[in-house]
Amino acid sequence: MKKTYIVGLVMIIAAISLFTLAGKDMSSYSTFADARESGQKVTVAATLSKDKEMTYDPTVDANFFSLYVKDGEGEERKVILYAAKPQDFERSEQIVLTGTMEGDTFMASDMLMKCPSKYKDEEIYIQGEQNS
Amino acid sequence: MDEIQYIGEHLWPGRIGHFAILLGFVTAILATISYLLGSLREDQAPEEGRSWKQIGRIGFGIHGVSVVLIMSLIFYIMINKYYEYNYVFAHVNEDLPFQFIFSAFWEGQEGSFLLWMFWHVVLGAILIFTAKRWESSVMFGLSLIEVFIMSMILGVYIGFGDDPFRLGSNPLLLLRDTMDAPIFQNADYLSLIKGTGLNPLLQNYWMTIHPPTLFLGFASTSIPFCFALAGLIKKDHTGWIRPVMPWASFSAAFLGIGILMGGAWAFEALTFGGYWAWDPVENMSLVPWIVLVAGIHTNLIAKNTNYSIRSTYIFYLLTFIMIVYSTFLTRSGVLGETSVHAFTEMGLEWQLVAFVAFPFLLSTVLLVRAWKSIPAPKKEEASASKEFWMFIGSLVLLFSAVMISISTSLPVYNKIMQWFDPAFEGRVINDPVAHYNKYQLWIAVFIGLMTGLVQYLRWKEMNWAKYARKYLIHVGASVLVATVLTVLTATWIEMFTWQYATLLWCGLFAFAANLDYLITIAKGNIKLAGSATAHMGFGIMILGVIASGLNQFHISSNPFAQRGLIDEERLGKNIMLFKGMPMFMSGYKVTYLDDEFEGNNRIYTLNFQKMSEAGDIEQEFNLYPTALYDNKVTKVAAYNPSTKHYLGRDVFTHIATIPRVEADAEYAREREDSLKYRDYLLREDQAIPVYDTVVVRDSQVVRTYFLQVEEIFQDDRHEGYEPQDGDLAVGLRLKMEDGRRDTVFTAEPMIVLRGNLLYTYPVQVQDLSLKVKVDERVFDRYLVPEELLQYDTLVFKIGEQRRLSKFDIQFRSFNREPKHPSYRPAEGDISVGAILDITNRETGEQRSAEPVYVIRDRQPFNLKDIVDEMGLHIQFVGLDPVAETLSVAIAEHVLDSSTYPIELAYSPRTDFVVLEAIVFPGINFFWLGSILMMVGLLITMGVRMGERFRQAQLA
Repeated sequence: MKKTYIVGLVMIIAAISLFTLAGKDMSSYSTFADARESGQKVTVAATLSKDKEMTYDPTVDANFFSLYVKDGEGEERKVILYAAKPQDFERSEQIVLTGTMEGDTFMASDMLMKCPSKYKDEEIYIQGEQNS
Repeated sequence: MDEIQYIGEHLWPGRIGHFAILLGFVTAILATISYLLGSLREDQAPEEGRSWKQIGRIGFGIHGVSVVLIMSLIFYIMINKYYEYNYVFAHVNEDLPFQFIFSAFWEGQEGSFLLWMFWHVVLGAILIFTAKRWESSVMFGLSLIEVFIMSMILGVYIGFGDDPFRLGSNPLLLLRDTMDAPIFQNADYLSLIKGTGLNPLLQNYWMTIHPPTLFLGFASTSIPFCFALAGLIKKDHTGWIRPVMPWASFSAAFLGIGILMGGAWAFEALTFGGYWAWDPVENMSLVPWIVLVAGIHTNLIAKNTNYSIRSTYIFYLLTFIMIVYSTFLTRSGVLGETSVHAFTEMGLEWQLVAFVAFPFLLSTVLLVRAWKSIPAPKKEEASASKEFWMFIGSLVLLFSAVMISISTSLPVYNKIMQWFDPAFEGRVINDPVAHYNKYQLWIAVFIGLMTGLVQYLRWKEMNWAKYARKYLIHVGASVLVATVLTVLTATWIEMFTWQYATLLWCGLFAFAANLDYLITIAKGNIKLAGSATAHMGFGIMILGVIASGLNQFHISSNPFAQRGLIDEERLGKNIMLFKGMPMFMSGYKVTYLDDEFEGNNRIYTLNFQKMSEAGDIEQEFNLYPTALYDNKVTKVAAYNPSTKHYLGRDVFTHIATIPRVEADAEYAREREDSLKYRDYLLREDQAIPVYDTVVVRDSQVVRTYFLQVEEIFQDDRHEGYEPQDGDLAVGLRLKMEDGRRDTVFTAEPMIVLRGNLLYTYPVQVQDLSLKVKVDERVFDRYLVPEELLQYDTLVFKIGEQRRLSKFDIQFRSFNREPKHPSYRPAEGDISVGAILDITNRETGEQRSAEPVYVIRDRQPFNLKDIVDEMGLHIQFVGLDPVAETLSVAIAEHVLDSSTYPIELAYSPRTDFVVLEAIVFPGINFFWLGSILMMVGLLITMGVRMGERFRQAQLA
């Protein structure tokens, strides 16, 4: 067999095994229940509970942001993120949180937001309205 | 319904544009067919082949003119702001500076497709002049690609019924044809609308230069692809190997520069905090570049040894397929939430799928058909030969590209699975950066090693036994240098894990070996310099990645204040800066000095002082991060960073957030309405204590202040107040002390009565988190109903003194240029003031007053003066020019009390920014390394072009 074929074969085997290993890098979105059971760091897709209180007061602590969200199964939990509140947070439709459950609170280490595109479906600005 | 005759529309650019789009599409088809026939016939019937080629040229030429015409028309309607066109409406607005018209042009998908085509036209023109016998077969492929891209902006509906299939999206559609809105009932709708404008994030010079460069890179990958197609069609598998080389180097250089510009943009102007984030869009522009680089290496093997012709075909074909695949990913919306910079959807998903499927199928069919005829030496490569190891290196590159592509395509996989099984739950990569780094690290280790080891090897090694000694000396020296450099680097930055240490060593080895090669073997020979330069660049880039990526650290934290209170990993990355109040963070003293608006950009001035252990200032600099507001300047759209560059490190800062009342005008209004003001009566003779309960997280804090009126004034001291004729303005100068009575603040709120409207001008006292305004009851002292006043009329001559109850009043003089808080002189006014000196006989207090008499438009009126302290209201009622006397009406009205009503509310301070600051050590190694890679590629391109030129001369 040619040397290049051997190298190629080794690479294919390496690729398959790497992707088998990489399987654990990927997951479906978890729920708060999963997080509680596993105690591990998980990724939760959630929606913001807009009626509940959101706390971010940088005059007290610039790295403390708390909010309430509902996960995919409708379970509502308080979330604490030790970082600044992201820009335009109120507009977010879906929030992807990475973190762990600690008691009743979800401690997020990372938060991603999905916002409605700002420049889509924008209405026509009427000049008259602009001036008023 | 009657046809509405719209006013002010310019329809001719649209009509010409529609025609040009159709013409461009048809001529691209014509060029494709003619060039194909030309390339098929030119060998058997050269005459016929030439004729077809001529027709192909004409077709491509007209196509090129059409593309330029369409672009010119769009620029024309954008520059003139013809909002009747949807594309103009969606991307331009009145305030958009001229230099951003280009950015606005390629902000939209249609514009970027045009840009892509434009580069194809330019490259095609060069090919027509230089490709000689390859012209027909290469231009066939290029014209065919143009057919596909042009179809993206065709905007033709195929089929009938409610939902016909739409082919392409026409950039020259009218707004009223794309939107259904009641405003179009108005024939003069154009005077009512204004454009949406360019996304403020993109209003930045990077947006002007990054897309054209990247699209030149995209477009240039078509040329190696077309050469490969040409080779397969003509079954001339060796002839195209040389002419394609300068094109491939050119393409790799410009695609690389385009990608790097994206990284530089992300680092310089966006708040990603880095130049590479393994974002899907970034990945999918990197993958074709990697494949192309692999192709360049096999191309070199093919040129020198005739091995690897098949792989060269595959790599060049795959490069372009990956380009269209990345186009599909970015533009179809399939990436959804996984990417920050995907285009918005345009409804062309299936057309994009076809655009990907087509080159893939065509390549596969042609490759399978010609596979057997592609020459491949029977004999295996020698184990110690350059070609063998270079081929292995190319396979490693392909491996890297495959790994990145598969991970990046996860959303596509999810979509496909959901198509079969709607209940399928999509999967995501939990931590993309870690995921990609983990695998690509080993790729980089391999590549680093090989660029060093293979560089010294020779083609078709015949005499390894003899060469081995020399080889080992060079390698040994490089190993030594790399090891020394690694140790030195380790004293400067941390490696954390042995994997990264290995990677660093490999990068430095690549650098050392190629530097050695450049000096001792290439000896300045430009022909060999290109590859050595590029590979050295790779090594330096690795160093930069490790230094800046692993060793970046946040300086925007105050661990002394926070450590011990919270977990180490939660030590904040952000720090709060109050205006004018210095803050210490990680060895820096930072002060937020000022902020000002420039257009919709709010620029903050932050002063940094690096302090030594002894407390001396080592370095001092200002940074200017900004808050970028939307086009209506009502809401912050983004925060843009500011970076201090040093040779060895960068200090990168951006604002994480500003107070919401500053960032969102609508919220500021709500907030103002929701403030709970309470009334207080203040005095001039003593300070009044005020208590306030504030909730801080879970506890309540009672705060005390002492407030006193220092002065009552009527001039325009409040910055928001612009005086107008007839205003009655009152302001209070307040002295405010905090509860410990150790700091005094002053505030000067005002209230203004203008006609029947009251305007309040509150003052936010930042340090006390208080908002204070003057209560309207303060007017009681000015707006005493006239019927309550009992006027006595006194007549004076200049200098005369009269007595009224306890006051002595002396008429000092007339004033031809009278001043009165409510009087603004107007053209044609006859006005005069009377200056009166008043003395209280009981207290000896002296005041002067100046009531004013005005004749405006033959209407006389007077403006009374109120001497507040004495309770006197004085009117200038008349003057007798003959007797030279003045008549003054004076009424005394003693105020019931000496209190001043104010309103006070707790309002958190709004003069701060939350800052994130990161130091990137050695980031210049990254830029230097990547620039060297591009320079190396450009040198190679130049060398190959020179070779081609000399060959042409010889022929």
